[in-house]
Amino acid sequence: MAKINTIGDLEALRTDLQNYRNSFQTTLIVCGGTGCKASRSRDLINALKKELFKQGMEKSVLLRSTGCHGFCEQGPIVVIEPANTFYCHVSPDDAEEIIFKTVNNGEVIERLLYTDPVSGKTIQTESEIPFYLFQDRQLLAQNREVDPCSIEDYIAIGGYSAIAKTLAEMSPETVIKEIKDAGLRGRGGGGFPTGQKWTECRDAPGDEKYVVCNADEGDPGAYMDRSVLEGNPHLVLEGMMIGAWAIGAWQGKVYVRNEYPLAVEHIRFAVQQAKEIGLLGENILGSSFSFDVEIARGGGAFVCGESTALIASLEGKVGEPRPKDIHTVLDGLWHKPTTLNNVETWANVPSIILNGSKWFGSKGSKNSKGTKIIALTGRIKNTGLVEIAMGTTLNTVVFDIGGGPTGKPIRAVQTGGPSGGCLPLDKFYLPLDFDALADAGSMIGSGGIVVMDEETCMVDVAKYFLTFLQDESCGKCVPCRLGIDRMLEIITDISEGRGKPEQIDLLEDLAETVSQTSLCALGKTAANPVLSTLRYFREEYDAHIRQKKCPAGVCQELITYFIDPELCSGCGICKRECPHGAITGERKQAHEIDLELCQKCGICRSECAFEAIKVK
Amino acid sequence: MVQKVTINIDGMSIRAPKGTSVLDAALEYGICIPHLCHVPYLSDIGACRLCIVEHVVNGRAKITTSCTLLVEEGMVILSNTEKVRKLRRNIAELIVAEAPNSRAIQDIAIRCGVKEVRYPFRNNDCILCGRCVQVCTGRYGVKAIGFVGRGKDRRVETPFNLHSDLCRNCGACIDVCPMTVVPCDGPMKVGEERLCGKCEPKMAFAEETPGFCVWCDLGEGFQCERYTLGVRNQAYP
Repeated sequence: MAKINTIGDLEALRTDLQNYRNSFQTTLIVCGGTGCKASRSRDLINALKKELFKQGMEKSVLLRSTGCHGFCEQGPIVVIEPANTFYCHVSPDDAEEIIFKTVNNGEVIERLLYTDPVSGKTIQTESEIPFYLFQDRQLLAQNREVDPCSIEDYIAIGGYSAIAKTLAEMSPETVIKEIKDAGLRGRGGGGFPTGQKWTECRDAPGDEKYVVCNADEGDPGAYMDRSVLEGNPHLVLEGMMIGAWAIGAWQGKVYVRNEYPLAVEHIRFAVQQAKEIGLLGENILGSSFSFDVEIARGGGAFVCGESTALIASLEGKVGEPRPKDIHTVLDGLWHKPTTLNNVETWANVPSIILNGSKWFGSKGSKNSKGTKIIALTGRIKNTGLVEIAMGTTLNTVVFDIGGGPTGKPIRAVQTGGPSGGCLPLDKFYLPLDFDALADAGSMIGSGGIVVMDEETCMVDVAKYFLTFLQDESCGKCVPCRLGIDRMLEIITDISEGRGKPEQIDLLEDLAETVSQTSLCALGKTAANPVLSTLRYFREEYDAHIRQKKCPAGVCQELITYFIDPELCSGCGICKRECPHGAITGERKQAHEIDLELCQKCGICRSECAFEAIKVK
Repeated sequence: MVQKVTINIDGMSIRAPKGTSVLDAALEYGICIPHLCHVPYLSDIGACRLCIVEHVVNGRAKITTSCTLLVEEGMVILSNTEKVRKLRRNIAELIVAEAPNSRAIQDIAIRCGVKEVRYPFRNNDCILCGRCVQVCTGRYGVKAIGFVGRGKDRRVETPFNLHSDLCRNCGACIDVCPMTVVPCDGPMKVGEERLCGKCEPKMAFAEETPGFCVWCDLGEGFQCERYTLGVRNQAYP
């Protein structure tokens, strides 16, 4: 492809590409994100390609493999434009039928349509599905439009017009003012005002500056950044270019964790394509602005998502945080002023430049503007990636988008990943924004939400996250290394029935010390799982300590299994499945569990068809 | 000519050369801020968190370590508030619970006002303060030892756990190690660890005039700068 030297070249190319795209009558969109790939979407794409070729339709039907659509549990997802027919759970064997019926004849295949688990009805188009209905998909909606490995697709949908506008008519100061007015705050968890960060970095002395994209997403169950980087890498690149122009940098780094192979591949390819076409390199679009991006792969340390640890890792040192008495905007990568933003923050920049700060500011709540991508998981009907306007309530997210509980009633959500907190059902009226959740003792964090029902033990949840944090703490400072270790020791005591009432006070005291005195944000927020569960679910701790009972029936040391003789049909499945030989009983008569032999593995309970095996 | 700035620690105006840390400035003036991982003349890593102070900015106090905070004109520092003392005590408690078999650590615990240890003792040989690593890399530029592993697996080791050719056997790492100072009564047996507490009476004076260096004798183990510089000997010849 010819190099783009001026903005005119870019616009001419865009028109050509749009005409090319419009020349196709039908577009077949197949999700090729990691989630759908795991459900064989690559085989599906090959099958569709083969089928199109067989029927001689490869010239009239455009087949596009895109990034994540968000509704990963329904994958692989196929959308057929222009009718926008939405098929889910498509297997490679369906390829022939899709081409023959839907593409050729415009028929809808009932079998592949989405069935709403709440109403039980089938739904034909994506926009009518409740999961999508309550969302405001500014970033994720673009995923559907582009093949992540094709810069042409991105240009065709208006890509790189924000950087063109920036270079043509905006000074760095106006760019920063626009970002400031928009009220964009860091999406990585801290919620620091992006505009202020950029101003400080621009004003910092020195002419060698860096922009860094933090794609070291490590929260268990969260994959917002992954999907953006995998699905639309050029969007992130364009955001970084605008940021670099604003602060006066000419070098950028993307720090992406190596556990995201597809993201690494796509962003690498995107950088290469942009270089080839002249959108990265010297004198971009005929201006004086030069910019280059390098990709660095992270080794999978959770703490490397922290800005100073990330910078140390980029420099080739051990990924440990350093004290932040001097901020990274003054003393960052190689001791130069550095602006470090999250993937999602960068991805928000181009649309702010194109649509203006007013447009962005019109979405969201008072101090949290724009949209936020949430990874919604747990005991709800619909799980996946959700993009909502900031300020949407937890109720909407859990019950409207998530579709409500799968079994037992919902009792709490855990927001913000391991450093976040748990909020009970009576706090579901809270809006999802930076301040409201922080006031309630949790945080929006990078955007993970885990929904928990009455079979979840809150002490066990705190224990799980502490175990995670203990593994991922770098171990440099005392409060984080020893404090988390001791908190885990106490919680383990409580969950195993050795807890004493005074340990609750000790736990609170210790949690406060850890959060106040730790070196970096990992330690400062490490106490949140403990503090928030203590705040809202203290009676559950009391039950563990005083009555030595686990109300949710999770903590193994505190529960016993028994068979309800009324419900037991004597089918003998539990007896056969028990690996410890703890179940006895004659056929067609109620069975019994020998508590001496029972290891509380729970296999019998999950196998019993009559729900006769209970926990007390 | 070294530029000097004026800062305020606990209500006192102190002049310190630009570029020094708050901890150094305070120690220079005899304001005792307990510290462990700080090695004189080397850049600080802020790992032990014992030297925390409250840094007042725009009327809001922020907890930060004084060793990594550089002096600035007009800075206001509170080194001995109720809050700081409590947090410091909790940190010292965590440290002494890991390694009761060091007089230096026991001394720090007493200096920070630890009266009881609420956790089961563990008898570790190393508390990962990092003084040895700092001396080796910072003062001698050798890097014969370093930190290995993450989180609870973190330990000090030579590269690949082999004897390093870089090591000059200078022994500086041993000199600065707080674990090499054996308790006066000899090492405590496993399961019999306790808070020694015999030096507690020495702290009475310090509690009356909190925050000041009272030549408490407790600095030897971790080479309190005042102690090693012989200030004590000058003051009480």
